[in-house]
Amino acid sequence: MRNNIRKIAAVSFMILFGFLSFAQTDNNLEEYRTTRILKQIKSPSKDYVLAVSHRGDWRYAPENSLPAIERCIELGVDIVEIDVRLTKDGHLIAMHDETVNRTTNGSGKVSELTLDEIRAFRLKNACGIRGSKIQVPTLEEIMNLTRNKIMVNLDKVEGKTVKEAYRILKKTGTTEQAIFKGRETVQYMRQKYGSLMDSIIYMPILIDNTGNAVQFVEDYDKELSPFAYEVTFESESSENFKQIAALNRKGIFVLNIALWDNLVAGHTDELSLLQGPEASWGWLIENGADGIMTDRPRELLEYLKSKGLRNLNNKR
Amino acid sequence: MGGFHPPFSYTLTSYDLLIKLRTPYYMKCFYILVAILVLGSCGNNKNKDKTDFVESSPQTISIQQKIANLKNSRNKEVLVVAHRGDWRNAPENSLQAIQNCIDMGVDMVEIDVRETKDGELVVIHDRTIDRTTKGKGYVKDWTLDSLKTLNLVDGLGVETNHKIPTLEEALLLAKDKILVNLDKSYDIFDKCFEIIQRTDTNDQVVIKGVKTREEVEAEFGEYMDKVYFMPVIGLAQPNTKQIVDDYLTHRLPVAFEFIIPQDTIQLIGSFNEIRKKGASVWVNSLWPLHNAGHDDEKAALDPNIYEWYIDHDVDIIQTDRPQLLLDYLRSKNLHR
Repeated sequence: MRNNIRKIAAVSFMILFGFLSFAQTDNNLEEYRTTRILKQIKSPSKDYVLAVSHRGDWRYAPENSLPAIERCIELGVDIVEIDVRLTKDGHLIAMHDETVNRTTNGSGKVSELTLDEIRAFRLKNACGIRGSKIQVPTLEEIMNLTRNKIMVNLDKVEGKTVKEAYRILKKTGTTEQAIFKGRETVQYMRQKYGSLMDSIIYMPILIDNTGNAVQFVEDYDKELSPFAYEVTFESESSENFKQIAALNRKGIFVLNIALWDNLVAGHTDELSLLQGPEASWGWLIENGADGIMTDRPRELLEYLKSKGLRNLNNKR
Repeated sequence: MGGFHPPFSYTLTSYDLLIKLRTPYYMKCFYILVAILVLGSCGNNKNKDKTDFVESSPQTISIQQKIANLKNSRNKEVLVVAHRGDWRNAPENSLQAIQNCIDMGVDMVEIDVRETKDGELVVIHDRTIDRTTKGKGYVKDWTLDSLKTLNLVDGLGVETNHKIPTLEEALLLAKDKILVNLDKSYDIFDKCFEIIQRTDTNDQVVIKGVKTREEVEAEFGEYMDKVYFMPVIGLAQPNTKQIVDDYLTHRLPVAFEFIIPQDTIQLIGSFNEIRKKGASVWVNSLWPLHNAGHDDEKAALDPNIYEWYIDHDVDIIQTDRPQLLLDYLRSKNLHR
């Protein structure tokens, strides 16, 4: 009898362990990677700078495609930024432009095409070459792919499709894994979305057409106390730039966008290729960036590692 | 792709379960040991799955070696040709895209040539400038000066600081560093040749055309001995064997480019023979219809796809993923 129990126990353990090794979640007995990333955003520290990849690794696979996102996961990127738009029949898909013309072999406005119609198109690669077999993904597919592995930053949702996007996050169980953002005032967002604003992770954007940066932040802090801001600045004399230090002092996460000159006063990815990373990424970190959005995720990660700025594992 | 693991969460840890079952102490120890082993090996597998991004540091291959490899169809060295330069990391057909190829250790860069309104030669793929710049219109309706005011866009369509290069600028950059395949040059070759001579890059340039030997000799005769000419042979067409044999007998080319829509085409079996006779075999890994479905996109998921080229005695590969292909070939000792 005892022997039998022992055998059953042994067999069931074998099955269980087999199962566990099969599951291979990102962190066997630890937390999910997304949980650790979110902790880091909520309390930024000096030994870790987040890498945010713009539209996925579009140098490797078509922008806003599942393979481009998967590649970010493999590289160890923390957040993948994707653009989300609503189809004619109410589905959220990943597409940057208003039309599908540039990135697919089809044509037309996303808002005038059904999901089925868009599914028939194929994405082009960054050289504009047709013939890939990759389809435009839905937000739902993206959240299922990224779940527990990488956080998602939703662009183009802004003050337009928050409800629709939230529905998908609820459905896929990923409300803690996607960051909304927008440049509207807190009053606008609160009025339009009410208590939904308390259920999502929302990152206000300070961009140079933000009328009064100080007031903008003050209002948000009072109403929603966001733990992260995206801050862009045309020059070092801009009001937005001054806000970075203020946010740093309050322990609020600051994301800079190293894509183009007018977003980071010239401290771009391109500059880091031309003059070395210290001149751009290093400068941004020096000036208060807790995370950097990039078109060069691999190079950024290499640089951050070399500076000892990727110590997520030490986090409690 | 390999990474679509089902989302899986478990609330009971293995240790919880161990405690719950009344097993003797030594068995618990045994189970714990097994658990550690299983979970440990699981972690190892994961690391192996991760793509390794250590840039392979290429030994610099001299231009003499690259030329020698191009001419030698019998050695096992496989030549890597980068389509439109390293367009993933710089605008296609830009000087930076060529420079990146040189730095990577690529053997040959494929670029496209077109003529401007004022008869200058520039490096650009499309007939129009619409896709690769923020301007609009046909290259042939723009003067060189006005084209030079435009910036090339990156893979997202965002403007960069890079300009449309002239053929002369491109050849001067490539000179003594990397071989060049001039696409779209056949009809304007007189002009191309002037620039090739001026930059003294004759022995670095490969031209191609979908022509029979007789056609090429009639149209192109005076240049046949001055640059490398490569016939392009679509294997789906009739008479391919005759066309190839005619070249092999009467005018041995440095290489043939073969377009291979399906694996079943008989001539594939004779690549080894063609190479023995002295012509290299060039196949594009760009799109599935070039290589019976063994394209770069499949290789991105599994680099062993490139084995097909080696198995079929291909010794020049034009690719959209030069780094991936170089890494593969270097791992097989087929490239320096």
